Amino acid sequence: MAPPIRLTVPGTLRYRDLAVRMVAESARLVSCSSHRNPNDPLDTDVRDPFDTAIVSAFAEIFNNVAIHAYKRKGGGTIEISITPHERELVIEVKDTGSTFDIDNVAPLPTELDVDTLPEGGMGIHIAKTMLDEVTYEPGPPNLWRLCKRLPGGTNADTRV
Amino acid sequence: MPTPAYDVQRSNNATTLSVRGSLDINTAPQLAEEIDNIVGTKPGEVFVDLSGLDLIDSSGVAALVKLYKGIRSTGGAITISGARDQPLQIFKLLRMDKVFNL
Repeated sequence: MAPPIRLTVPGTLRYRDLAVRMVAESARLVSCSSHRNPNDPLDTDVRDPFDTAIVSAFAEIFNNVAIHAYKRKGGGTIEISITPHERELVIEVKDTGSTFDIDNVAPLPTELDVDTLPEGGMGIHIAKTMLDEVTYEPGPPNLWRLCKRLPGGTNADTRV
Repeated sequence: MPTPAYDVQRSNNATTLSVRGSLDINTAPQLAEEIDNIVGTKPGEVFVDLSGLDLIDSSGVAALVKLYKGIRSTGGAITISGARDQPLQIFKLLRMDKVFNL
């Protein structure tokens, strides 16, 4: 059984791209997708639906932690643990900042037009819609658990 | 802080904004300043080309919504086109593809 892939970064947006790149590469371990540009192994462009979902959702959760838990001031760390299974990817994100009230996130307006287009509050909606599971346990440490499965997959015991 | 990759071209009464790379929480604030400039000139027509956009997050979406609302509020017309892959999926997920006619 392979150990989880781990990365700990300061809790600021400066380290967001680094974390997103690691997550994108981890998603490719499960989806077996390839880079659009094979000459750029750090290319974060994602096209595969599985990679897209993982990267989009994780980026929103990282944003949330840096903004809401650490108030854009840092002062703590973000611990990321990624476990690739044969047909699913599980990501845990831990922080020691302020807790987040996930139940108080407003839903998107039912009817969208020029007046009701939201200019905020979309991140958690993106994460929840993109993934199969998004859970949040207030801490300390606060724990986000994200899970995405390949279509037709089940909770696999076999790890890559 | 990363610099967002975008170009602005102005001709007569029209403005074209082309966005490339990643439009996210780190790059959107600078683009938002440019958006304020664009809206401030009250162009009659704005074209937004997203064909070079690889990734977007909710902050990037918010910046484009700000532009869309700003132009519409001044009586201008705005056309957003070229969204593909992850950005298009995000717009569809948020049901903005129909508002933006993507």
